Amino acid sequence: MPAVSKGDGMRGLAVFISDIRNCKSKEAEIKRINKELANIRSKFKGDKALDGYSKKKYVCKLLFIFLLGHDIDFGHMEAVNLLSSNKYTEKQIGYLFISVLVNSNSELIRLINNAIKNDLASRNPTFMCLALHCIANVGSREMGEAFAADIPRILVAGDSMDSVKQSAALCLLRLYKASPDLVPMGEWTARVVHLLNDQHMGVVTAAVSLITCLCKKNPDDFKTCVSLAVSRLSRIVSSASTDLQDYTYYFVPAPWLSVKLLRLLQCYPPPEDAAVKGRLVECLETVLNKAQEPPKSKKVQHSNAKNAILFETISLIIHYDSEPNLLVRACNQLGQFLQHRETNLRYLALESMCTLASSEFSHEAVKTHIDTVINALKTERDVSVRQRAADLLYAMCDRSNAKQIVSEMLRYLETADYAIREEIVLKVAILAEKYAVDYSWYVDTILNLIRIAGDYVSEEVWYRVLQIVTNRDDVQGYAAKTVFEALQAPACHENMVKVGGYILGEFGNLIAGDPRSSPPVQFSLLHSKFHLCSVATRALLLSTYIKFINLFPETKATIQGVLRAGSQLRNADVELQQRAVEYLTLSSVASTDVLATVLEEMPPFPERESSILAKLKRKKGPGAGSALDDGRRDPSSNDINGGMEPTPSTVSTPSPSADLLGLRAAPPPAAPPASAGAGNLLVDVFDGPAAQPSLGPTPEEAFLSELEPPAPESPMALLADPAPAAEHPRHLAPPAPSGLIWVCPGGLGQRDSDGALPPPPTAGRMYLFYGNKTSVQFQNFSPTVVHPGDLQTHILSGPLAVQTKRVAAQVDGGAQVQQVLNIECLRDFLTPPLLSVRFRYGGAPQALTLKLPVTINKFFQPTEMAAQDFFQRWKQLSLPQQEAQKIFKANHPMDAEVTKAKVRDRGRVCRPMNFVGAGIIQTKALQVGCLLRLEPNAQAQMYRLTLRTSKEPVSRHLCELLAQQF
Amino acid sequence: MIGGLFIYNHKGEVLISRVYRDDIGSRQAADSAVFSSSGPFPGERLGGSMRRNAVDAFRVNVIHARQQVRSPVTNIARTSFFHVKRSNIWLAAVTKQNVNAAMVFEFLYKMCDVMAAYFGKISEENIKNNFVLIYELLDEILDFGYPQNSETGALKTFITQQGIKSQTKEEQSQITSQVTGQIGWRREGIKYRRNELFLDVLESVNLLMSPQGQVLSAHVSGRVVMKSYLSGMPECKFGMNDKIVIEKQGKGTADETSKSGKQSIAIDDCTFHQCVRLSKFDSERSISFIPPDGEFELMRYRTTKDIILPFRVIPLVREVGRTKLEVKVVIKSNFKPSLLAQKIEVRIPTPLNTSGVQVICMKGKAKYKASENAIVWKIKRMAGMKESQISAEIELLPTNDKKKWARPPISMNFEVPFAPSGLKVRYLKVFEPKLNYSDHDVIKWVRYIGRSGIYETRC
Repeated sequence: MPAVSKGDGMRGLAVFISDIRNCKSKEAEIKRINKELANIRSKFKGDKALDGYSKKKYVCKLLFIFLLGHDIDFGHMEAVNLLSSNKYTEKQIGYLFISVLVNSNSELIRLINNAIKNDLASRNPTFMCLALHCIANVGSREMGEAFAADIPRILVAGDSMDSVKQSAALCLLRLYKASPDLVPMGEWTARVVHLLNDQHMGVVTAAVSLITCLCKKNPDDFKTCVSLAVSRLSRIVSSASTDLQDYTYYFVPAPWLSVKLLRLLQCYPPPEDAAVKGRLVECLETVLNKAQEPPKSKKVQHSNAKNAILFETISLIIHYDSEPNLLVRACNQLGQFLQHRETNLRYLALESMCTLASSEFSHEAVKTHIDTVINALKTERDVSVRQRAADLLYAMCDRSNAKQIVSEMLRYLETADYAIREEIVLKVAILAEKYAVDYSWYVDTILNLIRIAGDYVSEEVWYRVLQIVTNRDDVQGYAAKTVFEALQAPACHENMVKVGGYILGEFGNLIAGDPRSSPPVQFSLLHSKFHLCSVATRALLLSTYIKFINLFPETKATIQGVLRAGSQLRNADVELQQRAVEYLTLSSVASTDVLATVLEEMPPFPERESSILAKLKRKKGPGAGSALDDGRRDPSSNDINGGMEPTPSTVSTPSPSADLLGLRAAPPPAAPPASAGAGNLLVDVFDGPAAQPSLGPTPEEAFLSELEPPAPESPMALLADPAPAAEHPRHLAPPAPSGLIWVCPGGLGQRDSDGALPPPPTAGRMYLFYGNKTSVQFQNFSPTVVHPGDLQTHILSGPLAVQTKRVAAQVDGGAQVQQVLNIECLRDFLTPPLLSVRFRYGGAPQALTLKLPVTINKFFQPTEMAAQDFFQRWKQLSLPQQEAQKIFKANHPMDAEVTKAKVRDRGRVCRPMNFVGAGIIQTKALQVGCLLRLEPNAQAQMYRLTLRTSKEPVSRHLCELLAQQF
Repeated sequence: MIGGLFIYNHKGEVLISRVYRDDIGSRQAADSAVFSSSGPFPGERLGGSMRRNAVDAFRVNVIHARQQVRSPVTNIARTSFFHVKRSNIWLAAVTKQNVNAAMVFEFLYKMCDVMAAYFGKISEENIKNNFVLIYELLDEILDFGYPQNSETGALKTFITQQGIKSQTKEEQSQITSQVTGQIGWRREGIKYRRNELFLDVLESVNLLMSPQGQVLSAHVSGRVVMKSYLSGMPECKFGMNDKIVIEKQGKGTADETSKSGKQSIAIDDCTFHQCVRLSKFDSERSISFIPPDGEFELMRYRTTKDIILPFRVIPLVREVGRTKLEVKVVIKSNFKPSLLAQKIEVRIPTPLNTSGVQVICMKGKAKYKASENAIVWKIKRMAGMKESQISAEIELLPTNDKKKWARPPISMNFEVPFAPSGLKVRYLKVFEPKLNYSDHDVIKWVRYIGRSGIYETRC
């Protein structure tokens, strides 16, 4: 680069700039600029040609004026003229002006492009660099179109200077980022990779940046870079601090290059080649070792550079997630930084630990730092660091430390910054729910949460606590007592009033025995908050009052008085008014029995994914969810935490007021029935959607086998009369794992489109289609569902609650009638319900009895479980009556894949000859956890099926059912 | 009402900050108080910082605003800022309420007058030197944001610059009775050896004229400023050639009016100093008052009809190709030849791509001022019924800019010794029944000055 001589100082420019700087006011500045512009205009206008120096000076002044924020509408031509100068400084100013001021002026662009082309073609490296810098600085599409093809050529040309190569790589990177479609991929790509071997460190650094960007799009093209990068990295890492001379920064060899190489490696999976991998691991170890060495310099730059490499190394280790040894070492290293006095280091350490915590190898190691992290949460001065500490606490939480972490986070919440409060509230709510050991703790935690940070408790959080309390009998009394106590505080948050109102309305009777919380006390406590609340809360409280009338008849008069008050009956809010009027009438008109039915306790909520988790994910935005979604790490089959399982349900939480009225939204309709075969009664009984994460075909096939025994006594005989084709006995199609094809040649067929029951898991819906194959009308057609043992299906005492809709009494010839059965499992049962169809055909009464394909395993809900969890639970259920075992001969060919599909072992505990599975049978009354173990014996074509459940009859029955499938 | 008053220097630093009401910027405090049962009083906690917010908001959004022309009223976050600028000093009144903007500006002008009366020119230095005085004044002339007595003469009796002067009980009670009395602007017992008064009629004439010489808009805004050195409590009566008054009087002696050839003028709006008895003006259209001592502005008025335009500008602009422009401007003076206009300045804007100018003028001096993008032609003196001309050749630099030159109007400045509105002072009578001097003993001086306001001709 030619040295700038003293004469090139441009005194005029310096004077002008100092004039501007000395201006007292904006007006004075504008005056000075106007004067200068007029001067430049007169100079440019002048007939005599300007010399290069003055041209450069005036262009510089224009550039300065432009950068001050004034419009420049002349001088472009002079700048373009400067491009063709042979002097470096003039060319430089010309390029500078063009880079800053170029607009898509077609005429000038052509001239500029021409000048750039000339410079690129020249052999002068400084000119080439200037041209490349200009292209990169402008970076417009036009520039890209004109030069995208040339730059790769310069980049890989053998005779290009190092500095030119460096500029070319960065320029190409810029163009690629601006418009990726313009940069052609070609044979140069392979040669770019080899730039990693270049002698010149600058070239390598620039090339790594380029490759990192390019390989994100076409990883395969640049695969070879991994081994090159590893060898380059190992050379740098192992070099002494003096080896690299110019590229040694405060005793750290080539820190930027190292960081970039480590980033590049993070684009690829761990290298497969053992030698390369060994070398890389060695590198990573060296970096970790170096971190332990005493610093070579006290300067902050030295430690910054060293730590930059270290952190990038740790993220690479986390990215690979395959070297337990390295992961633990990284974790220990981060642990040291947690107490470093540099705030930035603490922040980075916490952030990296968050990702480490989700790795199974290092989770335990991370947990050892819990005290430090809690301390950071309490004492850290920087809010962003505290936020990271809270994140890390959330990530490292598991059953063992949940209580501690939750209580710490609650304590922190009282002093937390407003910006992160809502997030912390959500996290506490999730952790409390996920790792709850007993419900009273859970209820206490959430109520505390509302007390401490009521404003930040979103709807989802308190909906959830209501759902859980409603679904758990054992905690209801405790919850009622706790909210009653909480409500006694003089100032309590509106959310607390909501929760309290709902819970007391439902379960207030559980604490009514205590004179301190007698019904009138409860009512007056709630009513004292009424006037301070918003409309939504008031509406909820009105519903609570009407529920009180049912629970405590003695409060009826008081409550009616409240409802009758003008402030309610004539309330300006239509919802409140309507409720007041309706409840008042309801309470005075309806008899006690009717009231008891209408205002019955709310049924349990269907289990589904916790809505708060979904909310947290939404808050974090896409991509961030993975780190938080540690459901993967700790799948809980524990019934307490059953709600955490992802189910396909996307039902939104119904509004609380609607719930109180018992207007719960109906479960989503089942998949629409597939069109029935036209002629023959091809009935696809169990065509469940394949994507359902249930035990797959298992329950269906169990039923298939179950149906076989009753076949001889099947009502087909009765149908033989009317149906001419009835001499063909009903037969079953060859069993196929995908489902059951049941060909019924008679006049009736039924199909169940709803093999896998829709959520909620305790309830299901079945569609029956009755087709009249004859041409004669059926009369008095009446299908009924009976459960053996008790004939009154509608009474809740049976194990199944079946609701049917009446069907028309007449079925015309060739017509089809549909009936929908809503089935809810109240408790476990052994025998399937029967469908008895009675009708008159040609005057003669006919009756058919069919077993409905409803068995206990229909109410299975699969559960994900890690191996050790499974065996731990397996051991817990070791009582002899809890186990049922059966050894039987295989019905179907032994195919590992098919069997696996049948078991649908989602816990990924795959041993070749041993399948396990876990699930929960959801009934209204209770949940039965089931564990399954299937050991095939290929030689003998035998299976041994072992089932362990928490209920003895269920074990046996399930064992029977499931054995028929294999 | 005014919530607060701030004075800034040209950099936006606050020199004076006086807050009268807590409402400026305390909106958030009110919002946050809805459900919070914890924490200290929110208003208390936020008050200080919010006030700083209002101060900063004005600095950022108005003083440091990019645009050159700023609206005198700015609304930021439901807070209104009214400002006036005196040289490098900004005075800003801040309020949350929907106040009478004219009242606020009137107050700000008055505030400037009061400060000028106390320490001369309003400059950063003067304000810094007198900040105790300014706070004292602000305490006195604004109460809870409501303007109070802002009459300099009255204020000077009890706010002095000489430190605390111990006043006797009598003096104190006298001040109190005077300030709270009916005539708060004049104290009793003033004595002059020579009773003298000066009347200045100051007008500024505004004009916008088309290139063809058609008047697009013209109006005169004028003030009558009086300086009185009269003893006792004199009762004054001011008369001028107001059309309504003349016609009323003229009913009896119509021929007399026509004989004297006096023209009457139609006044569109006028405002008076607080000393003028408005009831009398309403009923009899006579302006009678007891004047304050010293200088004050008796009235302000505006006329739009029958304006005497002192100068006529005839522009001629010719574009010769893309790179040359020829301009010729003729000015004609249009008043009595015996009168002399002074300080005449014609400003001819030039295009933004001007690269060179040649000017030829017969009278005065003309110069191209690149820093202002204009040719400025100055003539020291010019008698009535004369004309003068200038011609200029402007060279242009071709630019790639598509914008055409907008041809801003040619503007003019001057000063003439008559009132362009035609207003004449007919009489000013002084009665002082208690003291023994009569109207004839008072020495009276009248002066007319007409200045240019925005006096523009399109070209």
